[in-house]
Amino acid sequence: MEQKFKRDFSELKNIVTMTEAVFNEMGMQPGLRNVVDLATEELFVNMVTYNTESNEDILIEMVPHALGLEVRLTDYDVERFDPTSAATVDVNAPLDERTPGGLGLYLVMKMVDSIHYEYRNRKSKITFIVDRK
Amino acid sequence: MFEIVLADDGTVVVAGRLDAAQAVKAQTFLDHVEGQCVLDMAKLEYVSSAGLGVLLKTHKRLMGVGSGIKLINVSHHIHDIFRYSGFDKIFEIVPAAN
Repeated sequence: MEQKFKRDFSELKNIVTMTEAVFNEMGMQPGLRNVVDLATEELFVNMVTYNTESNEDILIEMVPHALGLEVRLTDYDVERFDPTSAATVDVNAPLDERTPGGLGLYLVMKMVDSIHYEYRNRKSKITFIVDRK
Repeated sequence: MFEIVLADDGTVVVAGRLDAAQAVKAQTFLDHVEGQCVLDMAKLEYVSSAGLGVLLKTHKRLMGVGSGIKLINVSHHIHDIFRYSGFDKIFEIVPAAN
């Protein structure tokens, strides 16, 4: 299943609807929904927030994978930004040193089973896989 | 769908999905909370980093005046996110019964 989404946080509810349809169609374990929802939201929000030079819609594809579910997010006409090389977050820092910045991508790296970034012809594509386990 | 309300006993009750689209609504509500805040998460289905940011900002503000946020009825999968984020070390968290 694939669908394009406008560069707006209000699209998150529509992404959730798409994910729900994919899970129903594929018979995926409901317990994996939160990981897929969180990773998809964080990567989508990152594109919307930081790739501000583009007006193109963002393409999300969700396809069966031998291990579970493969999700691809493609952003068009943007500069290179590899989320897999984003700065790490010190989750052991005391409260007064904690900021929310970077936490989303950190959680994605922590929770998905594999993630891959590719950039070509001003097209940014992030693919992650969530295992059935 | 996300809701945040003040219950009769003073507990702040959140329900639904606290994502990036709903973070402003949550922050606007919590900016008006004073003193110790007990946040009931029994009906919270989902939280992303945007929601964590709201909790962190509010907790820091309240801790600055000697109080803070206590999170109660936290579901297993949301507790996992708190643990991955290190929030389990900076918030008082009471897990859901099961």
